[in-house]
Amino acid sequence: MRHRLGVIKWRIRGISTNVQCPVQGHRARSTHAAVGSVFDTVSPSVKSWEEVPGPKPLPLLGNTWRFVPYIGGYSVEHVDKVCLSLREKYGKCVKMAGLLGRPDMLFVFDAGEVERVFRGEDSAPHRPSMPSLNYYKHTLRKDFFGAEKDCAGVIAVHGDSWAAFRTKVSKVALSTSSAAHYTVPVAEVADAFVNRIREIRDEKSETPGDFLNEVHKWSLESLGLIALDTRLGCFESVEGSESQRLIDAVHTFFISVGELELRAPWWRIYPTAMFRRYVAALDTILSVTLSHVERALKECEANGGSKSLLQDLVTAAGPRVAAVAALDLFLVGIDTTSNAVASTLYQLASRPHVQERLHEEITKVLQGKALAPGDINQMPYLKACVKEVLRMYPVVIGNGRQLTKDTVICGYNIPKGTQVIFQHYVMGNSEEYFSDASEFRPERWIQRSTYKHHAFASLPFGFGKRMCLGRRFAELEMHIALCKIVQAFKMEYHHEPLDYHIHPMYTPNGPLRLKFIDR
Amino acid sequence: MFLKNCLRTFSGNQIRFLLNKNSIVPKYINYKSSASLSTTKLALDDQKVKVTFVLNDGRRLESEAKVGDSLLDVVVNNELNIKGFGACEGTVTCSTCHVILKPEDFKKLPEEASDEERDMLDLAFGLSETSRLGCQIILSKEQDGLEVRVPETINDARG
Repeated sequence: MRHRLGVIKWRIRGISTNVQCPVQGHRARSTHAAVGSVFDTVSPSVKSWEEVPGPKPLPLLGNTWRFVPYIGGYSVEHVDKVCLSLREKYGKCVKMAGLLGRPDMLFVFDAGEVERVFRGEDSAPHRPSMPSLNYYKHTLRKDFFGAEKDCAGVIAVHGDSWAAFRTKVSKVALSTSSAAHYTVPVAEVADAFVNRIREIRDEKSETPGDFLNEVHKWSLESLGLIALDTRLGCFESVEGSESQRLIDAVHTFFISVGELELRAPWWRIYPTAMFRRYVAALDTILSVTLSHVERALKECEANGGSKSLLQDLVTAAGPRVAAVAALDLFLVGIDTTSNAVASTLYQLASRPHVQERLHEEITKVLQGKALAPGDINQMPYLKACVKEVLRMYPVVIGNGRQLTKDTVICGYNIPKGTQVIFQHYVMGNSEEYFSDASEFRPERWIQRSTYKHHAFASLPFGFGKRMCLGRRFAELEMHIALCKIVQAFKMEYHHEPLDYHIHPMYTPNGPLRLKFIDR
Repeated sequence: MFLKNCLRTFSGNQIRFLLNKNSIVPKYINYKSSASLSTTKLALDDQKVKVTFVLNDGRRLESEAKVGDSLLDVVVNNELNIKGFGACEGTVTCSTCHVILKPEDFKKLPEEASDEERDMLDLAFGLSETSRLGCQIILSKEQDGLEVRVPETINDARG
């Protein structure tokens, strides 16, 4: 009876929301009462997995051949374009089956369905992640990651083990106050970055082509401060120092992870040179984080109270959890943040009016004083700019879940174990979910009622229990860095427009020669 | 017979009194579990306020809460049966503790929603003008008798 009620509710709601929500209204409000595992079994019109449209895999070769250069027509670097064309050709839900060494995938381009899947999540959603890291944590170094119960971290870990670890860490990492606590030190790093930009500009006030690398250094320096309580000294690091070893290791990790994950996984058969470098880099990051955690532990014992994220983590969950959390932050928290900042700077450089409005807002809030905790919350336009860049150019173009139970998506019965990929890049740029989707309009995030928007179409940090654990810190770092840069410079860009590519973050393809003019 | 009636009336009142005033039993539950489960600082004073959650199916869950607790604490500490409430354990990464306040109560809240909370409210189901996240409403003395509505969630539909 209750089951049936659920179904009826769903139907009524579907009809009534259509009536209440005119096209020009607020965001496309939730039209679903949520996943109904119950509804699914009742509905008569559910089609089978075999009927989901998508490119047909060839016998033996599957669909992997489509990603072979020159022959296949799909390019790994331009998965964004591939996804756009799949949406054009097959509709809102596309099957990608027969990929070598991977489970079948379902690409979802419908924000309402994304909402349904998120709302129907159980307590430990399974998020597909890097198989190479999975191998490192659970096979290669299982002595370390498996030594203590529930201590493998959050990246490439699932189920109860993930949930137990996440609970230990998230209260410390995601509380809004713990991030705001870092405002002053993160602002110091941002000041150092501004000085660094002044140093590396050429005679035309332009940054060198490898500017992205400098942004990586800023990101690593900020994260070192947050995760390890240490100024690594990335901007003035010397050969052979611990910070340089860490910088190199993180850099090696970035380069190889893209190769290992996106190309054919030969490392599964034998340890390729690339794979050995990758493992060595991970070992270095782990050993450096461990040594800092030991130091934090000693300080914690000496001072009694705790004053940093690392010390809070050590106090709340023990040294091993703290070390693994720091390692995970390093693996996924550096290039994501730095590419988001680089992308935002590039977008701002060609929009002087946006920069002016930003500068006005920042000047009005700060009034000549130093940045203090809470100031960023008075800058809605700054936050909106970051949201707008991440809508149009999300650094991670899609997010996903591996289904833990059979689920109906877009009217098809999708079997358990399928990787469902939410195509946020395509949805974020779709007229269906955002009015004037191709226009850069930060205002849409402030005057939400004047613009159409669907909250589940653009989710750069994900949603729910598996939302980005570093979100508060990433946002703090980005907002502060952009605030400091806009305060110090006018930015311009005088070269060929840059296309975006997957590398493995979604980022402008080409030298970022931005012109920084002192204000 | 007289004695029996006497006893019945007396014990009946006693039970009713317990139910109405929520005096002994909930206090004990509260005391026992607040230390480990509370997501906010333990309230030092022992002041109590009454809170009522009105569910989508019309059920009214009345409970007593400590000043300084959040609405999520109240649900957790009193083991109120609202399925799926507070999935992210008060870390403002989901919107399952979404509650709708009466306009007059909403206006009286000491703090407006933070940006983080507003981002999550944007993703809430059945958002209204007076929506807030329960984990962000900290109870004060003035909120005695607060009544909030818990909108339909996924779990209602699941049954």
